[in-house]
Amino acid sequence: MLLTRKANESLADQRTAAVQHGRLAQGLSSVLGKTIDRRAFLKRSGITAGAGAVLATSVAQLPFSMIGTAEAAKEQAGGKIEVKRTICTHCSVGCAIDAVVQDGVWIRQEPVFDSPINLGAHCAKGASIREHGITHDSHRLKYPMKLEGGKWKKISWDTAYDEISKKLIEIRNDKEKGGPDALFVVGSSKHNNEQSYLLRKWVSLWGTNNCDHQARICHSTTVAGVAQTWGYGAMTNSYNDEQNSKSLFFLGSNAAEAHPVSMLHTLHAKENGCKVIVADPRYTRTAAKADIYVRFRSGTDVPMLFGILHHIFKNGWEDKQYIHNRVYGMEEVKKEVMAKWTPDKVTEATGCSEAEIFNVAKTLAENRPGFIIWAMGQTQHTNANAIVRASNILMLALGNVGRSGGGCNIYRGHDNVQGATDIGPNPDTLPGYYPVAVPGSWAHWSRVWNVDPKWIAERYAPGMQAKPGMTVSRWIDGVTEKNDVIDQGPNLRAIFFWGHAPNSQSRGADMVEAMKKLDLMVVLDPYPSASAAMFAMVRKDGAYLLPVATQLETEGSATCSNRSVQWREKVIDPLFESRTDHMIMYQLAQKLGFADQLVGKKDGKQNIKLVKGKGGEEPSMEDTLREINRGAWTIGYTGQSPERIQAHMRNMHLFDVKTLRAKGGKDAKTGYDLTGDYYGLPWPCYGTPALKHPGSPNLYDTSKHVMDGGGNFRALFGVERDGVNLLAEDGSHPKGAEITTGHPQFDHVLLKKLGWWDDLTDAEKVEAEGKTWATDLSGGIQRVALKHGCHPFGNAKARAIVWNFPDAIPQHREPLYSPRPDMVEKYPTHDDVKTLWRLPTLFKSVQQSAVKEEMHKKFPLILTSGRLVEYEGGGEETRSNPWLAELQQDNFVEINPKTAADRGIRNGEYVWVSTPAKNVDGKHVRLKVKAQVTERVGPDTCFIPFHFSGWWQGQDMLASYPDGAAPIVRGEAVNTATTYGYDRVTMMQETKTTLCQVAKFQA
Amino acid sequence: MRRLLVVAAVVFAGGCMEVEQASSPAKQAGQTVKRDANPWSNEPLAMGPKWNKGDRTSWEEQIKKRQLEQHEHQRIYQ
Amino acid sequence: MARMKFLCDAERCIECNGCVTACKNENEVPWGVNRRRVVTINDGVIGAEKSISVACMHCSDAPCMAVCPVDCFYKTADGVVLHDKDLCIGCGYCFYACPFGAPQFPQAGAFGLRGKMDKCTFCAGGPEVDKSEAEFKKYGRNRLAEGKLPACAEMCSTKALLGGDGDVIADIYRERVARRGSKGAEAWGWGSAYGQPPKGAQGAAPAGGKS
Repeated sequence: MLLTRKANESLADQRTAAVQHGRLAQGLSSVLGKTIDRRAFLKRSGITAGAGAVLATSVAQLPFSMIGTAEAAKEQAGGKIEVKRTICTHCSVGCAIDAVVQDGVWIRQEPVFDSPINLGAHCAKGASIREHGITHDSHRLKYPMKLEGGKWKKISWDTAYDEISKKLIEIRNDKEKGGPDALFVVGSSKHNNEQSYLLRKWVSLWGTNNCDHQARICHSTTVAGVAQTWGYGAMTNSYNDEQNSKSLFFLGSNAAEAHPVSMLHTLHAKENGCKVIVADPRYTRTAAKADIYVRFRSGTDVPMLFGILHHIFKNGWEDKQYIHNRVYGMEEVKKEVMAKWTPDKVTEATGCSEAEIFNVAKTLAENRPGFIIWAMGQTQHTNANAIVRASNILMLALGNVGRSGGGCNIYRGHDNVQGATDIGPNPDTLPGYYPVAVPGSWAHWSRVWNVDPKWIAERYAPGMQAKPGMTVSRWIDGVTEKNDVIDQGPNLRAIFFWGHAPNSQSRGADMVEAMKKLDLMVVLDPYPSASAAMFAMVRKDGAYLLPVATQLETEGSATCSNRSVQWREKVIDPLFESRTDHMIMYQLAQKLGFADQLVGKKDGKQNIKLVKGKGGEEPSMEDTLREINRGAWTIGYTGQSPERIQAHMRNMHLFDVKTLRAKGGKDAKTGYDLTGDYYGLPWPCYGTPALKHPGSPNLYDTSKHVMDGGGNFRALFGVERDGVNLLAEDGSHPKGAEITTGHPQFDHVLLKKLGWWDDLTDAEKVEAEGKTWATDLSGGIQRVALKHGCHPFGNAKARAIVWNFPDAIPQHREPLYSPRPDMVEKYPTHDDVKTLWRLPTLFKSVQQSAVKEEMHKKFPLILTSGRLVEYEGGGEETRSNPWLAELQQDNFVEINPKTAADRGIRNGEYVWVSTPAKNVDGKHVRLKVKAQVTERVGPDTCFIPFHFSGWWQGQDMLASYPDGAAPIVRGEAVNTATTYGYDRVTMMQETKTTLCQVAKFQA
Repeated sequence: MRRLLVVAAVVFAGGCMEVEQASSPAKQAGQTVKRDANPWSNEPLAMGPKWNKGDRTSWEEQIKKRQLEQHEHQRIYQ
Repeated sequence: MARMKFLCDAERCIECNGCVTACKNENEVPWGVNRRRVVTINDGVIGAEKSISVACMHCSDAPCMAVCPVDCFYKTADGVVLHDKDLCIGCGYCFYACPFGAPQFPQAGAFGLRGKMDKCTFCAGGPEVDKSEAEFKKYGRNRLAEGKLPACAEMCSTKALLGGDGDVIADIYRERVARRGSKGAEAWGWGSAYGQPPKGAQGAAPAGGKS
């Protein structure tokens, strides 16, 4: 057995463990003088349970001189050695990995220095990813299981499929309280593109829009806010492009922990003179690398941003020509900012001095181009749609967007969250952001899918096909809310957790109440996840666990944050009895009666062939990508054929790091000429693969020809509003465009008007008639537009005013649980909404009752949450990896020395953190975590990382996990205690600003 | 290949900048520690960096070349 | 002739622990033994926080070698400090002598017996047949024998940790120091280990040295 594995049982001799651990740190302290280390203190305290168990069970059985058994040493023994190139599955940076495999066993991993994205570099998660392939003492879910009589029992795949499908059909056919909308499918941003696309199709073929994935609770507000401003809901440039930047403003991103390898580009830029600014309630690891750090009150991002903008306008630092050419509504924003966000108001809201804000404004103005960089720090607020738009406006005012070295670098979270957002299980859109509410979307996709549109329509409950589904952030209310107030027939009765942790969702205490009511829960995951334990904690039956292969056990493409699409080779076969996600989708579809539709089999034609996999047949990933290529015209997922992407993976060395472009070179295997391609063909990569569009490294960049990846802002919102032109002004267009002014999107009518219709081939004309650039399956309209140097989606202005949002100009609104009743008075939240995403949604009533009940006195501290470098998301996967788990063994709360001293709390001891959230018995939710006393947070703020689960308000949930499948490290999930609160537009959950109280631990 | 003994002369030749330490009582008593083979005496892996087996200079050349992968400038300004 | 050294650039290190898990992965070091470790000083103190990745530095005048009562240490031709676990008696003298706290002692048994010392080998294995199972079990991977460098340095997320020939490291570092316009004080531990700062680090910071 592998020594690095930790068994779950037994305790060790505390004395020896304490001596042994922390040795390096102790030794160092003599050299360094002052050593206080967040991790060291926790590790030292936690080593007892950790190393102890290992030592007792393993080390004692081996000679002292041995450090490990040699799973990897097989290399010498002979046997076939292969190197498989894959992509790290732990964040959106997209680090390449060469996996060395011998006889089907993953024996080593080597850095890929050629990758233009990571240049061989890895963080703790990437450098330990081989652990996923190790089977000794694995904490994976190994076979299908069922909860029966309060115990997890092993069952066969056939039994699982039979019972699950029988139950689903029973719920579907229940005329009184059932129907297709009684099912909610929580998909995953960890699925590859093909799987997430198939899952959206799967859910449509089942007949509901009740599906969602992590993007809802990570960047939904970004996607909505950014797309509504200028066209596409994505990071405008790449991590790499920061090397061309003069200033980087991190507002709501702790990249050093959440996207560590991106810091390679950031720090390289910094060494070349780029100014790094970090504004954050915490002095983060990223802040430690900044030139300027500004601490501000959590949730006051709009005042911060508009405070900066105030100085920019006041000093005339805005880019007036750029704004004239390319931005709608900036004058009105300016008026409001100058009147409302004067320095005194900004200081009152944020706690920052005028000088601090001025310094940031001046630095940004003097160092252009520059990026604003954000992640969950901006997005996970009840007011996040306004926050992200204020960020956009700031960058527009500086003229930073649509050029190399500047824009909005929005760091996505999961490895394929961008891809899953683009073409995956979203409740309001079909793949490629075709809205479910528009009938043409369904017509388009059923044609691509080779499925009868009427057949699909009949799968839906009447009137529900065009109605966006519920969101993952609110599924619990879909179960527990009164039936007469929800905007669909039945309440939710069945839920699939298909690669999604429950502890990344807020209101955990309410979630177990929803679990109590479910008829069926199916968890499909490589790890049982906290869903299994939470469910088994409150139920005796009603749940199934299906073991799923990781992304290292299948092939397929993934889209990194910068929109580059990379192809993963399969490293090893699915471990244990696990099967790939797409195999399970197909096999379940067979049981539910839509397997043929899933692979587009009709009239003697089949879009996606079936290939043999471990456990049966599965849809071909390459064919699935080709089907995506045939349909996702809106966002240019059409040019990235498997052949092109795979050629990129084999020839990474040809791509320039700063531009991502290949200067030349041919793929030895296929002869494909890579000249001019951008790495991973970052979307939009328009037209068919044969057109050889190179991809778009920086969106909206008018300095380049559209066939060189250039572009402009999208014409999505009409041509004028109240007599004001919404299209780009004369002279603002991509380099070489034949139309030198703003224009609407291309369709068959515009082509004819321009006299370009005859540029289409005869075959293209047949297909293009009556179509737009987004629905013409021949790609002819796009081809002709591009040929004339024009952008297929038109050429318009970005919108500083989004009139279709609740706040056309971004407004500051206090969090629902605010520490400042005086500010609630001045900046109240929205009115309650009767129906939002099928559910009643509360704003003002929650905020006002919090003020009335004086929550700010009972819970006087701000509670915010965030990431640690060692873990990812809900953390069950990474907390099951001993190489990572050893580094963070306890959940903790960061608390300022003053706050701690006032409460008699000492560093390293357990505390209770309680919040306004309530358990079903009316008692406030509380978390047992260790106190990390640190100046990292101010006296008004506490921070708890969100990756932990497996404890429930002081109790270890070990007994609720299937045997041998509990993660090594368990701890309190901060989201057990997070409170109600959702974004007004997207239903993003509030996890960044709520209230808490901290007290000494008493049992 | 395992070598139990490597004569001091080789060590001196190899680590010309380094101090040969001989301060411990055991060493002064003439005890000799088991030693390692030199890395360049190995056959390069089929899929890995290449040098001429046994040729220290060629091993060092490729090691120094590979080392530049730790310097991002090498890749960025190639 | 190459002389193997480590350098951790504190201006670059972000305490991501990539070096730590790269080491665990490559050498399959057991839980509780940390050949490499990242330490942060002044954690959370604004403007003063610095992180450093530390392991055995393979010192020029290695104190561990000097104090070992059984003389189990030796230095390879390329300057790597290794030891023979068959000779090691686990006395711990080397730990007390080491300025970096590098030696680790896997402990086991009911009486808290100290195991054989374990430490970073610069991914150079130890005194067993190169790349053999015995070498891997006792000492871990021998990357040098494969023409590669330590996994920690090769995988460092920000290329803060440099490992390889001291002259090449000094060249890389000098270029960075010049670009940053700093004084080169961030090459923490180098002086202690090798008796002098990296060549060119001092005085390599002309004003306006940034490009």
